[in-house]
Amino acid sequence: MSNVTLYSVSYLLSDTVLRAIGSVLPRPLSAWITNADLITGIAVLVFGALLLAASMLNTIVLIWWERKLLGRFMDRRGAMHVGYAGLLQNFADGFKLFRKTTVQPRDADSLGFYTGPTAYMVTSMILFGILPISSGWNSGVLPLSLLLALAVFSFAPLFIFVSAWSSNNKYSLMGGMRSAAQMIAYEVPLLLAVVAVVIVAGSFDLTTIVYEQQNYWFWGPLVVALVVFFAGMLAEMERIPFDLPEAEAELVEGWNTEYGGMLFAFFMLADYLRALVGSILVVLLFLGGWTLPTWVPAALTSFPLAGIVWFMVKTYIVFGVFVWIRASLPRVRTDQLLRVGWNRMIPLSLLSVFLAALLVTVKCLPVFGCVPSLGV
Amino acid sequence: MSEMWINMGPQHPMTHGLWNLRVRIDGETVLDVDPEMGYLHRGIEKISEDRHYNEVITLMDRTCYVAGLAWEHLYIIAAEKALRIQPPERADYLRMMCEEFQRIGSHLMWYAAFVQDIGLMSPFLYGMRDRDLVLDLFQSYTGARMTYEYMRVGGVRNDLPPGFTDQARKVLDWLVPRFKEYDQLCLGSDIFHKRCDHLGVLSASDCIRHGVTGPMLRSAGVKRDLRKNRPYSLYKEVDFDVAVADGADVTARYLVRMEEMRQSVRILRQVVDWLDAHPGPVMAETVPRWMGAPYAPVGREGYLLKRQYPKGVGFSSIEEPHGEAQAYVVNEGGEHPYRVKFRSPVFANLSAARTYLVGYHVADIPPIMGSVDVCVGECDR
Repeated sequence: MSNVTLYSVSYLLSDTVLRAIGSVLPRPLSAWITNADLITGIAVLVFGALLLAASMLNTIVLIWWERKLLGRFMDRRGAMHVGYAGLLQNFADGFKLFRKTTVQPRDADSLGFYTGPTAYMVTSMILFGILPISSGWNSGVLPLSLLLALAVFSFAPLFIFVSAWSSNNKYSLMGGMRSAAQMIAYEVPLLLAVVAVVIVAGSFDLTTIVYEQQNYWFWGPLVVALVVFFAGMLAEMERIPFDLPEAEAELVEGWNTEYGGMLFAFFMLADYLRALVGSILVVLLFLGGWTLPTWVPAALTSFPLAGIVWFMVKTYIVFGVFVWIRASLPRVRTDQLLRVGWNRMIPLSLLSVFLAALLVTVKCLPVFGCVPSLGV
Repeated sequence: MSEMWINMGPQHPMTHGLWNLRVRIDGETVLDVDPEMGYLHRGIEKISEDRHYNEVITLMDRTCYVAGLAWEHLYIIAAEKALRIQPPERADYLRMMCEEFQRIGSHLMWYAAFVQDIGLMSPFLYGMRDRDLVLDLFQSYTGARMTYEYMRVGGVRNDLPPGFTDQARKVLDWLVPRFKEYDQLCLGSDIFHKRCDHLGVLSASDCIRHGVTGPMLRSAGVKRDLRKNRPYSLYKEVDFDVAVADGADVTARYLVRMEEMRQSVRILRQVVDWLDAHPGPVMAETVPRWMGAPYAPVGREGYLLKRQYPKGVGFSSIEEPHGEAQAYVVNEGGEHPYRVKFRSPVFANLSAARTYLVGYHVADIPPIMGSVDVCVGECDR
């Protein structure tokens, strides 16, 4: 079972279904439908559908996880009534939002108003086609998958700003401005922190980066980069303490003030998709992805789909830290945020790049061991 | 961005009520503000003129939704002065207990709203959770959680239920460590200091010029608390300190309110001990029958009777949780007060908004207004 991959699963599904259909159809149709090319083509579609379903399901469970955790941090229990321990609450909420009318402000620009949230969500979902979840569970070998993921990730401010501007609301506009300023300011340290990882791993391919961490996870030697990356991700996700674009107290709901119903759900979903991507990137870059340290008993890593299980566990723990921060910190102010971003984070990230370069030069660390790819 | 006016309110998360703060901004800088109150004006002073003295108490609960008992106390003192009725000592202690519990409840509500304004999520629920204990106490002896209608001209409606004082002590014991927890969550955070220090500064002279009172005045270093400066009820019998802080900024107001809650706990311990040791009547015997005696429903004829009562005026001012509230009751001899006038501290505190808001950032408005502790009900009356 260990060589089950996302593609083999989708091929199996497509093959089984098409052959079952073909067996009841008359001969010429049956031959056409069980054609190898068609099976492969459908397998690709199934592949995409599986990714989509998995990312959506995970996002919804992630929202549940946040609600429950936040509830416990706040001395309450969170969602309890729909489904077991409120597991179905988010489906109910989503269905409610789905049924609601979308209200468009009179002077809003329709094009931007509708394409903004849609594009925001679509670009967030594209990310899941790029990120590997376990060995074999990705959409193919992309040598620059990390770069591609970060490039798609940084589309967001544009769409946020477009939807904020076209809402024709002063609060939305201010939220959009803040969002753009914040995301651009934190893009730089985020990328520099990633550069540190890339220097040590010697690759832009996320799968390779994960396998480079077999001796030690990167969070140890690259702890500065991890701190910068974590804070930068917090800002990119627009979560407390960096949630000023939608600072509820002063900007009502920030850039999505005018959105309701399904368009609001798009924003909400995309926010959590991005939060999920952020947590996944932390796990992939710093916490060894789906691998476990070698001293872990083999029984824990050899059961079917162990990689995915451990990967999800790590992702949810990382997201739990984000939630913890959200539950315990106040919000900073825009100028403070930008000052911290430009004056503190960038020097720190440069320091992390320097440390990474040093690590590659030294090749081995006393506690952590050696960098495998450097052939020591 | 060029200059523009934005309306923060009347429907806005910052307002904590129904009022409108018009703000002229340039980018993120506040150039000018214009507070607009009056959305919640219900004409309580005018309605009071058509009501019996005891019926006005119902309105007092509606004046401020977080400090109903304090406003009852304010009105009752003025009404008793106007009618020349002296309440029994136990009633006065009960009223003090009401007011101090109300102060804790109100400040906890303020704490919850304030931390929400600076983006702290968990303490909001901690504040509400602990306020609930105070409300439970209120419920146990007044029967209501928000609209108490507990005080009466000449005393209070009923005595405490059995076991109340033990319960009250339990709540006080629970609250004291919680205050420390609140401080850790707020003062222990660097971001809190970044957000609140040197923010919304309103100097002592500005406070006095604008008639700003209460925690805002004391946060500017002015040691003025009516419970000490002009003791009403039996506040000279209890031992407590006036909470003062320097700095006149948002942090100072936070410190003052936290210290006030601790002092309230101190007062309450003394009051509860006194109440345990001194049983007695809670209603004056000299209250005229048409005013409504305790436990006995008033006969219909009582209301209809045009009883002549010695004329008089009564003035009271108390240290309400938000500041100095004042009441003036004119008794022209009828069953209804001839004229009732209230002075709301929040109205004065809000009116000075231009002094403490201009020059800061848009993002600073919620913490500053949060530190003012707005209660629009009593502001608009």
